[in-house]
Amino acid sequence: MINQLPIINMLLFLATALIIPLLSRRKFNITLIFGFIMLALVMTSSFFMLFHIADNGAIIYQFGGHDSRIGIEFKVDLMAAIISLFVVGLTTVIYIYSCGDETEGVEQKEYGRYYILLFIMLFALLGIIYTNDLFNAYVFMEIISITTCSIISIKRKKETYAASFRYVMLNEIGSLSYLFGVALIYMVTGYTNIDFVSQSIQTIWQLYSINIIIALGFLIIGIGIKAAVFPFHIWLPDAHASAPSSSSALLSSIVVKVYIIVLIKLLFKVFKLDVLNHFHVSDILVVVAATGMIMGSIFAIAQKDVKRMLGYSSISQIGYIVMGIAMFSSLGLSSALFHIVSHGLMKAALFLSVGIIIYKKKIKKKDQFEGLAYEMPITMGVFTIAALGMIGIPLTSGFISKLTLGVAALDHRQGFLIIIVVLSGLLNVIYYLPIIISSFLKSEPKIYHPFKIEKVPWPMLTSVIILGIGILTFGIFPNLIMNIMTQAAELFGWV
Amino acid sequence: MKIIQVFVDNINFIGAVALFLIGLRTVVTKKNLIKRIMGLNIMGTSIFLFLVAIGNVTGGVPPILSGEEGVTYINPIPSVLILTGIVVVVSITVYSLSLTVKIYEMYGTINQDELTNLIREDDLHD
Repeated sequence: MINQLPIINMLLFLATALIIPLLSRRKFNITLIFGFIMLALVMTSSFFMLFHIADNGAIIYQFGGHDSRIGIEFKVDLMAAIISLFVVGLTTVIYIYSCGDETEGVEQKEYGRYYILLFIMLFALLGIIYTNDLFNAYVFMEIISITTCSIISIKRKKETYAASFRYVMLNEIGSLSYLFGVALIYMVTGYTNIDFVSQSIQTIWQLYSINIIIALGFLIIGIGIKAAVFPFHIWLPDAHASAPSSSSALLSSIVVKVYIIVLIKLLFKVFKLDVLNHFHVSDILVVVAATGMIMGSIFAIAQKDVKRMLGYSSISQIGYIVMGIAMFSSLGLSSALFHIVSHGLMKAALFLSVGIIIYKKKIKKKDQFEGLAYEMPITMGVFTIAALGMIGIPLTSGFISKLTLGVAALDHRQGFLIIIVVLSGLLNVIYYLPIIISSFLKSEPKIYHPFKIEKVPWPMLTSVIILGIGILTFGIFPNLIMNIMTQAAELFGWV
Repeated sequence: MKIIQVFVDNINFIGAVALFLIGLRTVVTKKNLIKRIMGLNIMGTSIFLFLVAIGNVTGGVPPILSGEEGVTYINPIPSVLILTGIVVVVSITVYSLSLTVKIYEMYGTINQDELTNLIREDDLHD
């Protein structure tokens, strides 16, 4: 029974997506409650799976009982279990928010369709995390591409169409170069299953080194475009700025991270350290990540639109994650995994609190935030916590991820990387702190009513409060998740 | 002569890479949105050609078991992978074409340069 859980999770999401159209004649609240129950069910089963896997090792599921040489195989290891729990949990919080935010550019009759797309996307996200097959990952990638593009363009506004066209073009170049990489690997190994591919690459990579390095290049660039790693980031700010707020939060804190998981699988499960060290992949990734960390922040300073600024900030934060991966050590990988979770929480909190401000005040520009904290104390409070987390102030989870990244850099004997981490943090100060200062300190105090919270729908407030508490909890007690992440990172067999 | 022989032997792979580059150039440099979608299709086709070429065995026959002995079969798995790939590329094409229709309705143009200018003007008005 426990072996079936991964596929049951996915089927639950697919079934939800199929049942929502049938509920379209009922009250819309029924759809919302139904979706929430499904998310809660999958979250429970993901929890259960995580504990099971932590004790008993990975779950392997073979489709149709075929041998994994010819069939498709799911393999849920500790990392996949943690990330799937993170994806489902964070989506639940964003889902709660989206129940309250009904007016943000999406038409009344489109609500149901939005949730259909959301659940199909979740289906594919879980699939890409669980799968142990390179070609299968490509198929799920394309499902994610189409659904995320539709989630962006569901807002019937001019700029969303242009943004999602650019997104679909670049994503498609990314998926096709990923497919080319898979084809090149199939050419030398004859498998698409990750375990078998890895075994044969370990034996033949010196014979077919040209093939392997071209495949590695295509795969890394393909994933890089999809995960918005620095030189391939140009689609991200437009797409995130023009989407509805809850979609921006989903895209920035979940979808992009799932591609990073694919990158981790490719590097450490398929190619493994011998091949990577021979081709100096670590150095290339460190340079790319460091440039991204600095340039993302510099671009963000220049932006006037808050959501676009948050998009550029995501690019610099993805640089942190890639840098953690590029250390090629257990410490670096666990810091990357921790930053995936902590950045997910922080960026979701930022996008959702900005979403509340857009909902309530209809403002988008950075300089219109003056005195806002007096009117909206909770929203701006969560915004401040998350922004301080981005900067890396102690007591927030952002501090812990920067600390572990710094320790990993020292362990990797590349102490100069700490300078880049600190510099990027200081650049974050330049664009987050003015917003906080102007909203809390610059205003005439006569409109100030203590203990008066803003009047917005309760689901929106609840979800941002949950996110704020989450950021502080993981900042004060990082070992709640850090231990299991270290455990997951050590499973990759470092030499 | 040896170079020509290598070229002729690997004509499938060379053709696939050439098509991939042609498609990539079309997507990146062309200004017309429809042409960019065509470029994507060319890129997709190049990869399908590449996969078929991998599966081919010289002198092989389609893998339908007939009971005869001493027959070499071609590898059917790449062809099956391509079937999935074709479906995926078709759906992406349909989606991006429908987006192009919407863009034409909204902006009245499908030229990337004019589109960028229009978007910039909209930003200034905000």
